[in-house]
Amino acid sequence: MQPDPIFVIAAALAVAVILASAATHKLRAPARFANQLEAYQLLPQALVSPIARLLPLLEAGLAFALLVPAARHFAALGAAALLASYALAIGINLWRGRRDIDCGCAGPQQEQPIRPLLLARNTVLVSLALVASLAPLSRNLGLFDAFVVIAASAVALLIYAAADGLMANSPRLLKLIGR
Amino acid sequence: MDALIVSNILLWGLLIALAFAVMGLVRQIGVLHGRLAPAGALMVDKGVAVNEPAPQVTAADRSGRPVNFGYAGEKAQLLFFLSPTCPICKSLLPAIKSIAKEQAHRLDVIYVSDGDMDAQKALITEHKLDDATYVVGPEVGMTYQIGKLPYAALIDNAGVLRAKGLVNSREHLDSLFETEHLGSATLQQYLHNSQHAHGAHNH
Repeated sequence: MQPDPIFVIAAALAVAVILASAATHKLRAPARFANQLEAYQLLPQALVSPIARLLPLLEAGLAFALLVPAARHFAALGAAALLASYALAIGINLWRGRRDIDCGCAGPQQEQPIRPLLLARNTVLVSLALVASLAPLSRNLGLFDAFVVIAASAVALLIYAAADGLMANSPRLLKLIGR
Repeated sequence: MDALIVSNILLWGLLIALAFAVMGLVRQIGVLHGRLAPAGALMVDKGVAVNEPAPQVTAADRSGRPVNFGYAGEKAQLLFFLSPTCPICKSLLPAIKSIAKEQAHRLDVIYVSDGDMDAQKALITEHKLDDATYVVGPEVGMTYQIGKLPYAALIDNAGVLRAKGLVNSREHLDSLFETEHLGSATLQQYLHNSQHAHGAHNH
């Protein structure tokens, strides 16, 4: 069964905005992102700095391609793979028992240690990207459909930002109540 | 059909507004967490005693006008000791400015700093302190024996030092006014005294 285009386009728009904002954070503070990448201890030292420079460009490219209908399918699969590899990087470090490194998931002042909860967050993002990769039912889209697409992705992004903020706050709350 | 579309648009609009409200709440919680940073350690007190006349000193503010410290006057004085190189001082500036605005009728807020003039100018521009009384120089800090920043001292309109202390948060600042109101040097001393009074009453 093919999904309605509204689901696919709204998911693609939401993932595109999330990737674009992630890319701007990384491009604005390249040194900080390189440090975060190094802290994950997954790459050989020589590769850290070129990959730290490449990743934000890849994110921005995928974000742009998601908005182009012809490229949407492959860009969405690429975004899903990228987000899944981030989850894998977090998972490997959790498995190593290194819970004290900064996630680097969100922008500045949103530092948070890596936790299993972040794997759930990335799972949600990967499934959103997979929805965007589906081939939609073909039907004519009117003005009202465009409105629903924009409204739905705006609500999804706001709730994503709120959930991100809650996740960044929760370690601070635990510290405050002394656990 | 039209009614359904109208209701749908209305619901989307309200849902977006609700999502904004939720995000705003989360952000505010984040700010509160930032403000609830751990309090500064207690330090060995030195310098001028509270509830004694404040030492009198005159210094020029950054435009060269003389400012009197510790003299009796129309208004009480709140001295805020800061430095452009101290991040906690900067995070307290909004709180100081709001106190200055709220209590403008009875309180003069004076910013006292020391060090590089360019850094002071950058701080003044960044935090819009152009109209504030801003003294740059070591005299006042040395007279009041300020060793740690950010530090605040409250002098009443008779020239008596009413409260002072290291201030790391809005709560610390408010506690200065609370101790002034209670007439004790510190909140700890007030609690101690009231316990004594209570004990004496029981006997």
